[in-house]
Amino acid sequence: MAFIEMVQVSFKYPGQKKTLLHDINLSIRKDGITALTGPNGTGKTTLSKLMVGILVPSTGYITLKGQKMSGMTLAQIGRWVGYVFQNPEKQLFCPTVAEEISFGLQNLELPGHEVQRLVKESLAYFELEHLAQSFPLQLSQGEKRRLAIAAVLALEPELLVLDEPTTGLDAYRKHLLGECLDKIVTSERGVFMISHDNNFIKKYASRIIKLENGRLTEYVC
Amino acid sequence: MAAAAVVVVNKLSYCYQQGGKQILKDLSFTVEQGQIVAILGLSGCGKSTLCLCLGGIIPHYLGGAITGQVLINGRDTVDCKIARLALEVGMVFQDADTQLFSPTVEDEIAFAPENLCLPPERIRQLVDAVIGMVGINHLRYENPNNLSGGQKHLVALAAVLAMGPSILVLDEVLAQLDAAVKKNITELLLELRRRGKTIILVEHDLEAVTIADRVLLLEGGMLVMDGPSSILRNKELLAGHKLL
Repeated sequence: MAFIEMVQVSFKYPGQKKTLLHDINLSIRKDGITALTGPNGTGKTTLSKLMVGILVPSTGYITLKGQKMSGMTLAQIGRWVGYVFQNPEKQLFCPTVAEEISFGLQNLELPGHEVQRLVKESLAYFELEHLAQSFPLQLSQGEKRRLAIAAVLALEPELLVLDEPTTGLDAYRKHLLGECLDKIVTSERGVFMISHDNNFIKKYASRIIKLENGRLTEYVC
Repeated sequence: MAAAAVVVVNKLSYCYQQGGKQILKDLSFTVEQGQIVAILGLSGCGKSTLCLCLGGIIPHYLGGAITGQVLINGRDTVDCKIARLALEVGMVFQDADTQLFSPTVEDEIAFAPENLCLPPERIRQLVDAVIGMVGINHLRYENPNNLSGGQKHLVALAAVLAMGPSILVLDEVLAQLDAAVKKNITELLLELRRRGKTIILVEHDLEAVTIADRVLLLEGGMLVMDGPSSILRNKELLAGHKLL
């Protein structure tokens, strides 16, 4: 069974004349790394927001684990699917880096010592330890992106959706991110990423989908 | 005859808060007119902060503690108003959202020429020319807020070009562009260089900066390398600095 299934989904932003996505049928399984690519403005970010319930289809429907998303709250969807925005600032709101990572964990009511342990591990893995007490919005763009990924991954979602995750990352940290995504996949969780980074896609994606003129094409890896 | 130095950075140090962590440490370099200079370095090393210093946003808008000098066409940025500097240094930020505010793309591009009190016909010509240069005619009447990340960068670039600055500072503009658009913009930058513009590019994508004449490498806020773009072919050197 597909983890997320989009069935004949079309989408048009309110007030806009143009239908951005036409009759999209897409199955996302909870394995491997799927990359979505395509020209600027073709609707990739819009498609990703539909996948996580931030946007609602104009026609068609989307299921998550076999259940229609229209019957689920964002919080319920968020337990299974983690989303990292193209602009990481949109999801950073805590006063320190460490608190940003611990926020979701605390909301899961994990014991304090367990939260501390997971935060410490996350800070170490993403090389954010020296910034633990820093104000997130004062970080560089690349650091903010690493923090957003760390905060979402701390909740161990079954599918991670990343919008342009390598923007702002240097080669070394792209490599770390790639290793991290590989680890996610070996723990039987999936990754769906939007990217223009052809080298990163070639190295890590097991499935490539292209969105162009509102329609999908699949490429064999 | 050597080209004039249009950007002179002399022992520049900076921290965002007095007594806080130094983000830039004793940077010194010059950029000659008509050069394309790439600034490389790991995330957090100070590249964007340096860009903000070149545009005068530091210290005029963001404050902080700055020592040393940044001279743009011979004038110290500390002594120049930001509005004056914006005529000489066109900046496209890493987050294009922070510099887009008009209801349509056309209005966005026309805003600066209108504020320079150019005649309406001249403004129309400028807007048409820049929209054509950047290849965004299909976005002319769109609301910038509704555009994709890459499209927003193109609009920000067009709006900056409309002011005719002699120096462009582009902070990770190419990163979010698809291959075809990246090729067009790269060719545009080469054309602008041919016309005498000076271009400073911050990028992580080493392929994107092969058009650079020179490469500056920052590490921990310090300038550790200033050399020709042939550096980009030295894989051992780049790997040693974790750029590969």
